[in-house]
Amino acid sequence: MANIEIDGKQIEVENGCTVIEAARRAGVYIPHFCYHKKLSIAANCRMCLVQIEKAPKPMPACATTVAEGMKVYTASEMAVKAQKGVMEFLLINHPLDCPICDQGGECELQDQAVGYGSSASRFHEEKRVVLHKDIGPLVSAEEMSRCINCTRCVRFGQEIAGQMELGQAFRGEHAEIMTFVNGSVNSELSGNMIDICPVGALTSKPFRYTARSWELSRRRSVSPHDSLGSNLAVQVRNNRVMRVLPIENEDINECWLSDKDRFSYEGLNSNERLTRPMLKQDGKWQEVEWQTALEFVANGLRQIKDGAGAEQIGALATPHSTLEELYLLQKLLRGIGSHNVDFRLRQSDFSADGKQAGTHPHPNLPPEGEGATVSSDGGEPRQFLPWLGMSVADLGKADRLLIIGSFLRKDHPLLAQRIRQAVKKGAQVSVIHSTDDDLLMNVAHKNIVAPNAMADALAQVAQDVAAKNNAGISGSLLSGERVVVLLGNFAQQHPQAAQLQSLAQQIAAATNGKFGFLGEAANSVGAYLAHALPGTQGMNAATMLSSPRKAYILLNAEPELDCANPQQAMAAMQAADLVVAISAYKHHAVDYADVLLPSAPFSETSGTFVSTEGRVQSFKGAVKPQGEARPAWKILRVLGNLLNVSGFDQDNSEAVRDAALASVNIVEKLNNILNENVGRAMPDAVGEAHPTKTGGFQRIAEVPIYSADAVVRRAAALQKTRDAAVPRAAMHSAELEKLGVQPGAQVKLSQGQCCVYLYADADDRLPKGAVRVAAGHAATADLGAMFGTITVERA
Amino acid sequence: MAGGGRRVDADPALVMVSAMEKIINFFKSFLLLELLKGMSVTGRYFFARHITVEYPDEKTPQSFRFRGLHAQRRYANGEERCIACKLCEAVCPALAINIEVAERADGTRRTTRYDIDMTKCIFCGFCEESCPVDAIVETRVYEYHGEKRGDLYYTKTMLLAVGDKHEEQIARDRALDAKYR
Amino acid sequence: MLSVQVQEKIERELRKYPADQRQSAVMSALRFVQDEKGWIESSDMADVANYLGMAQMAVYEVATFYHMYNLKPMGKHTLTVCTNLSCQLCGAEEVLGYIKDKLGIGIGEVTADGKFGLREAECMGACVEAPLLSVNNKRLCFRLTPAKVDQILAELGGQP
Repeated sequence: MANIEIDGKQIEVENGCTVIEAARRAGVYIPHFCYHKKLSIAANCRMCLVQIEKAPKPMPACATTVAEGMKVYTASEMAVKAQKGVMEFLLINHPLDCPICDQGGECELQDQAVGYGSSASRFHEEKRVVLHKDIGPLVSAEEMSRCINCTRCVRFGQEIAGQMELGQAFRGEHAEIMTFVNGSVNSELSGNMIDICPVGALTSKPFRYTARSWELSRRRSVSPHDSLGSNLAVQVRNNRVMRVLPIENEDINECWLSDKDRFSYEGLNSNERLTRPMLKQDGKWQEVEWQTALEFVANGLRQIKDGAGAEQIGALATPHSTLEELYLLQKLLRGIGSHNVDFRLRQSDFSADGKQAGTHPHPNLPPEGEGATVSSDGGEPRQFLPWLGMSVADLGKADRLLIIGSFLRKDHPLLAQRIRQAVKKGAQVSVIHSTDDDLLMNVAHKNIVAPNAMADALAQVAQDVAAKNNAGISGSLLSGERVVVLLGNFAQQHPQAAQLQSLAQQIAAATNGKFGFLGEAANSVGAYLAHALPGTQGMNAATMLSSPRKAYILLNAEPELDCANPQQAMAAMQAADLVVAISAYKHHAVDYADVLLPSAPFSETSGTFVSTEGRVQSFKGAVKPQGEARPAWKILRVLGNLLNVSGFDQDNSEAVRDAALASVNIVEKLNNILNENVGRAMPDAVGEAHPTKTGGFQRIAEVPIYSADAVVRRAAALQKTRDAAVPRAAMHSAELEKLGVQPGAQVKLSQGQCCVYLYADADDRLPKGAVRVAAGHAATADLGAMFGTITVERA
Repeated sequence: MAGGGRRVDADPALVMVSAMEKIINFFKSFLLLELLKGMSVTGRYFFARHITVEYPDEKTPQSFRFRGLHAQRRYANGEERCIACKLCEAVCPALAINIEVAERADGTRRTTRYDIDMTKCIFCGFCEESCPVDAIVETRVYEYHGEKRGDLYYTKTMLLAVGDKHEEQIARDRALDAKYR
Repeated sequence: MLSVQVQEKIERELRKYPADQRQSAVMSALRFVQDEKGWIESSDMADVANYLGMAQMAVYEVATFYHMYNLKPMGKHTLTVCTNLSCQLCGAEEVLGYIKDKLGIGIGEVTADGKFGLREAECMGACVEAPLLSVNNKRLCFRLTPAKVDQILAELGGQP
């Protein structure tokens, strides 16, 4: 530790601390541009020059480490003179037309020029001009003359995003920030460059020229997309969401935000928004009053219940719905006597259901509810509730990671970023997966196998670990102290998910590590807590669709995009007598639904998401619902009242939340552990379920990052990114050759009766015998299951 | 000597004064002195320079800083000056200005809507003062009216039309004021 | 793709550096490419980046930072004339003017026959011998006079 004095304030900081950080802790502000606490130190803006006793010249506070007895003066004559001088230099080439600039009002240079600069410029010569650049649909580099070459964006790319897409080319007066040969910035974290740019050089393209920072009110919210639960500041003007910025939370998103969280707000203002209840009468859609629509639904459900039986009613929700919505949905269904409610729409293996380490009645169930058995092994009864298995902060401290079946960067951009930082500090990452996308970090070991070989590959690792084999993945895991084994979305959606889970659990146990699930969506954990699950009496998502029901309630779900098997889902929808779609959007449901009830997306309703680390985060609506849309929990509450189900009298979402989480100790409930006996028995149980046996290819289906949920599918700018391009069929080049297809040519892909035509890509990193075709996209919505056989032919 | 009635056995000198007063007052009123005094004021103003302005036949002189009806100006080439920085909207104490911004096809920052509600406006001139490009100005025009409430809600086209009409005057006034700014 | 010769040269260079610091060889690698074809195309930079396992943009940064790298064809012989203070005081301007007239090209241009390219440079650290120029960044020619320039051009096989 070193004792130093900053502007007369004594402070004790650890050795190696920089002066600027020490000053921050002492409450002294030192102006700066290039310094950023999360980035490496460049010391190239020189704005943080301070006087240090006994130093002959001013020193940059960001690059000077403290020393015992150091005396720092940040406002002495020397320091002020240095700051003024630097500011004058910075402004020499910076345009002084702040009123036009989109950063005006929230510009670090503007603020500091007022605070530390002089009132007039002595520079009358010509300023340098830097040509504007087009670096993609999200980040605008229209005014690169404003750049002060602090290189924060370059360092962000190198250090945080993991790929150096921007760089500083040329030198001296000609230095400019650009991409390599007019490329674009494709990182899934690129929006953060807008935040860290201290001037108006990099600005948000969708937000550009639409509003000023001072006319926006900030409303706290929580990301409705990935399972991290990033904290958002939703900025609002005239009852319209204008943009979304991060709220710093060191335990969750640090100061970053993924592009999906940042730019998805455009989907909230989409033209496709459903703003009035609609009823299909004589095959035609009519806008109706809420009362009419809700009574129609209540009557319809009552008729089916009385006629065909309550078990003919099923409810499908997405895990992007709030805890309150999911809780009331399952309560409504159970109230009318059906247990057919599920949110695991993309899951295909439900064999683990009811086989967890002890099941016990869920407090949200009526007393006669299912699963009243106490676990067979007599241990403490616990319900299965997959979660991350540790806090997000702990994930960043892991030193050995095994990531099984995860499109990590696209499904969990900021968790990937955390792991990337861990890798930089020496952690080793091993991957078992069916695709070999660049994770932008050093991967110690990887095993890329076809989907049907995933379990074998994992079993091999489990065996090696048990045998203390010091080579490959097991060697890496055995050498660690804080081992983490994670199952990604791909593994959870896999037809052998239970087996993979059981094996992963064994590996974690053998390496004394933690085992967890990378939750699929914002409220995957919350949906379990709300018990939006069939339990033992009801049908799960897959069964509900494979043996079609007469009535379906869809909560935020678009079956052709959100379900594991779109063909099956669509057939079930089309055959149903009554389909009630509660959705914020006028989506494909107009073809098969009977009622459309406009619900409010996350920005327009209060609610709660439980992140993958089990963090319960409630938020309030940022704006009023559009048109006549209403929060889905209110819609469900009224439906409950109309159907005379008890327990639907909450006045606000907090009351619903409290009812849902009453007598639930979340920390105790989070439970990843499968019953050991069940685990060992399982490989046989699903042994014959190998996806491919004869002919065709195995399908490897990811859900593209910007197709994962309803809001982001309608975010215009995100849909223009490379990640949102129309899916292509990627295969090993040897397979393409066998088919006689050139890369770039069209191929015909068929599953079941339907086929789609996509362009083929060669990707030699893919396992042979497999074809990678994304799901969740309109272009592939006619295909069948996400896993299993798919036929590929020359088109 | 206020109040109270005079004592019967009063001071003979005081009795004398009282008598004199009566005589003087008699002559004063007989000669219409007070009337003449009053008329002299009338007479003086009758011949003095007239101050009343016979509006609308006559008009008072105006300062070049007169703050009347607002106008949006253009550059000589016809391009509107406003760059949609929104400073006037931010500074307006009466919240009378309403602006929407968008990027025009040529990439410049422009207003798609610029409204001033003249019924809200208090003519403080802050908008004019805050404008970095002298786009929003207050003209010398004060003779405008509306028959309906909405008539005084000035849109961008109306403001530009005012500017076009009075540009010469506006430019002259800005030139006069330039050295004080 | 990088030619086998260039790859061999890079490999030799790489031996000078720790195995996990392959990017240390980037400047040499670019030099080898330029020696081979006279200039560096962006596709070459991408190849170098892939070969050394570094970001393409990082190679581009290096290639644009140093003026010795030709980002466009600069003729068979690139003449780089110093125009910094010491050289200027000793008549660099006149020498440069003479070369321009002689070759009929301006700075940054190449003669029609593709033989000579002309560049301007900052101080080369040999001010005692000013004014000076370098040929292909390999050979320095000192104390230039018009006569000396003629001699150099003749040596390089230019017009008399």
